[in-house]
Amino acid sequence: MNLTFRTVMSLLTMAAAVSPLPAVAQSACTAPSQDCVVVGDLSVSLSFGAGTRTNPVRGRSDIPLFVIPQVSYYGKRFFLESLEPGVTLYESDANTFNLIATPGYDRVFFSRSDLQNVIVSNFSDNVSGNPPPPLVDQSFPVGRRHTTYLAGPEWLFRYRDLIGQLNALYEVTGRHQGYEVRAAVSAPLIQSKQSLVISGGWTWKSAATVDYYYGVNNLYKPDAAFNPFIKLSYALPLSERWTLTAFVHYEYLDDAIVDSPIVSDREVITAFAGFNFKLL
Amino acid sequence: MLLSVPGAAAAADPARPRIELKLRPRVCTLSEEETACTTTVHAQWRSSRNESLCLLIVDQPHIRRCWENHAQGVYSVEVSFSDDLVVELRDAERDNVLASQAIAVIRQALQLRHKRRPPWSIFN
Repeated sequence: MNLTFRTVMSLLTMAAAVSPLPAVAQSACTAPSQDCVVVGDLSVSLSFGAGTRTNPVRGRSDIPLFVIPQVSYYGKRFFLESLEPGVTLYESDANTFNLIATPGYDRVFFSRSDLQNVIVSNFSDNVSGNPPPPLVDQSFPVGRRHTTYLAGPEWLFRYRDLIGQLNALYEVTGRHQGYEVRAAVSAPLIQSKQSLVISGGWTWKSAATVDYYYGVNNLYKPDAAFNPFIKLSYALPLSERWTLTAFVHYEYLDDAIVDSPIVSDREVITAFAGFNFKLL
Repeated sequence: MLLSVPGAAAAADPARPRIELKLRPRVCTLSEEETACTTTVHAQWRSSRNESLCLLIVDQPHIRRCWENHAQGVYSVEVSFSDDLVVELRDAERDNVLASQAIAVIRQALQLRHKRRPPWSIFN
């Protein structure tokens, strides 16, 4: 574990330990809050801080995180949540059904110019320090991974403190025609002025999706992959515009990915701590 | 709709003829950004006999218009108000309420939605 990860974990643990307030039940949207937004309002914010995302791809450096921009807009039907636009088909207090478009997340490990890497200030293609170890006696090109978008239905459900989400996605940008299914459940551990939320879930990627990112021509043809993850997110509003924020996300990669000759790590850890400034 | 106070006479004397009071506008709608209505209120009253009365606005003591032995009257005044505006006609001598009407203030309700928080995304 690197220093940033340990720092974020310490911050999250301290926040949970010192809070005397129990989690409270979530309810219908009756007032603007972190989880309830005003229809028609555009929200733009920047998170400044320090963090990292480990890179499991052999020979690629970890991705530093310094600035994370966030854009959010919710109309009556249409919404945009950073890089994810969508349309709401049905919404009640308990259930929401959307059609969404969402980027393929794996590209961040291959390209500095990926939109999800606008946060990156010093991303290099090679490991700094020691060069990557040679792979048997064979070399092969690692082709370019393009930006991909997946689209499909999304189901969100809320039950007491729990929020669940399930996405069934198909790649629509013509790169690999693969599928992804993403599922997660979130629960607040602390929900007072400050909030600490734990999320757990998994991502299933079809063989075509895994092959596009981690396959190697004539050498490695992967199967589908099932990657579980867990995430802790912390937020403490300091003023109307400033919020102390931190998160740590741990993903465990399936053998279908880890067995690829271009992958050297089984885990992906993303951690960040900093301050969020609300511009709009 | 919040058109509150009933119009027409509120006189204590049952034998007294009904005095009709009309106001324009009937409602004032505030957007999310607005805190008060500022508008010209047009009041018109009519009675079947001559009256001596005064028109006044509740909580706006600086506004007062009186008539001596008239069967009708009109009055326009610019007013700023954030809650329902109540206009009264009062007997000039006894000060009892002869009629009253209200202009309702309607605030546009905020429409809220649940925010998505996909934990897969680095932006959430």
